[in-house]
Amino acid sequence: MFVSINWLLFPLELLITLTLVVLVVMDVLLPKTVKKDWLGYVSLGANVLLLGFWTTQREVIGNTFNGMFVEDSLSWFFKGFFLVAMLFVFVMTHKFFKATEGRRNEFYLLLWLALIGMCLIASSADFLTLFISLEILTISLYVLTAYTKSDKFSLEAGMKYLILGALSSGFFLYGMSFLYGITHSTRFDVIQQYVSSQPLTPITLFAMVLIFAAVGFKIAAVPFHMWVPDVYQGAPTPVTALLSVGSKAAGFAILLRLFSVGGVFAAWHFEWSMALAILSAITMTYGNLVAMFQTNIKRLLGYSSISHAGYLLMGAAAGSALGASAMNFYLLGYLFTNLAAFLVILLFSIATKSDEISDFAGLAQRSGILAGTMLLALASLAGMPPLAGFFGKFALIMSAMKSGFLWLALIASANIVVSLYYYLMIAKRIYVDAPRSTSPITISVPMRTVLIIAMIAIVGIGIFQGPFFNAAITAISGM
Amino acid sequence: MIGIEHYLILSGIIFTIGIAGVITSRSVLKVLLSLELLLAASNLSFVAFSRYNGDYAGQAIVFFVIIVAAAEVAIGLAIIVLMYRHLNTIQADELKDMKW
Repeated sequence: MFVSINWLLFPLELLITLTLVVLVVMDVLLPKTVKKDWLGYVSLGANVLLLGFWTTQREVIGNTFNGMFVEDSLSWFFKGFFLVAMLFVFVMTHKFFKATEGRRNEFYLLLWLALIGMCLIASSADFLTLFISLEILTISLYVLTAYTKSDKFSLEAGMKYLILGALSSGFFLYGMSFLYGITHSTRFDVIQQYVSSQPLTPITLFAMVLIFAAVGFKIAAVPFHMWVPDVYQGAPTPVTALLSVGSKAAGFAILLRLFSVGGVFAAWHFEWSMALAILSAITMTYGNLVAMFQTNIKRLLGYSSISHAGYLLMGAAAGSALGASAMNFYLLGYLFTNLAAFLVILLFSIATKSDEISDFAGLAQRSGILAGTMLLALASLAGMPPLAGFFGKFALIMSAMKSGFLWLALIASANIVVSLYYYLMIAKRIYVDAPRSTSPITISVPMRTVLIIAMIAIVGIGIFQGPFFNAAITAISGM
Repeated sequence: MIGIEHYLILSGIIFTIGIAGVITSRSVLKVLLSLELLLAASNLSFVAFSRYNGDYAGQAIVFFVIIVAAAEVAIGLAIIVLMYRHLNTIQADELKDMKW
């Protein structure tokens, strides 16, 4: 069989691979003193250039590799999302290794590998491509999680992540094998045709549930969430940021392609929308309730990220175009909010060597900008107007109500009130409580700039939702 | 006559053994072995379906799965070696430093 390949359809992936190769060569050739910082500078520079290149790729649409790889508005949207996330992660990585003096070469290479995996996930149009790109992403994340190998928390987190991650990919594969057996294909469009012409049988339901288990693992929905708190706490902070934003968004990209409106299983929506709604309600309630009792800030954000997966699942349960675009918009707001929070946590832990919430007491007196960014990020996570998180939650709840899930909308609103409690408790510690040590934390000018950019994005997306929501709608409509 | 259902039942049994192994094993090495069983079960059903449907895609997929399984085990063993060096244990239930 002749396979025609349209090379112009995936220049971004090719360029990312090229960057990876350049970094490997640099790693081998450059002397130690030079490459220490330059791997980071080159990564950051290449990322900015790729982001610029990405803006020119909007009109590139089509599929190649016999329909296994697709480039459309949804993949374009998510690739930009991943590139922006990586930009912050590279900044954090640079800062992280400035403070810890570990081996940093492989860290950058693995981050780029994870980026390739995420971009391929967004472009998958076949279960085989999806499986392999998913593994590229998760396997590099296993190593990144266990990277600070002398730290017992990091090792423990890596091991737990690997066991549960491999379990979920086993589920995915088993489900995929049954889907292949029934539909004679692994391609999304062939399976979609099958789904729209056939009723749901127990065996296809079985396959679908197994595949959803793997997606649920990536997005951290409740029965598959066990890894989240431990891995978030144990992983190096830049990796936690990547997990909470990049890996989760990759999961939602899969969810949109498979389970959302226009997705592979869309024709059976009626059968499973109730299951998704129940899952969504359980996920957000569990995440918010357990988050209240946390003492470690990274662990707390882990539970908060579980509850946010619950909010986002509302859009999938709604199964409407509004729900899907609300998910996209929410992810946009969540991107800047969470990255800002983790950047503050990183800078704080570099200065104080602590992730404990109690040590955040009186942060406002020690560093105004750290306290301000954290406050803004927490307020946006809690969904206070006019920040990014508010309009996203609003749109998601509206989509659930329009699809007839009034009870889900009510549970979500109750959850938002509950979550305010623990987000504002941290804010209270930062602004009201007396500091344990009064030594000021100095933040360098580049870091100040990054923090201010993140703050502007959180407020900007909240106030000028129009263009961002339009981008989210366009991403869905061209699927 | 051995039909598709025999292969599927066998793969179902292997899958179940794998899940049981992951849940019950104390040693991380045994957990890794059980995880391999999961992938092997999927491989078996891929090949069986491929034969039954009369197309070769399923058999090609198995090659990719084998590569992924090898990569996963390589990382898993590396982490186990580090665990043994730094924590002096390879028991899964002793990984409990982080608890809420």
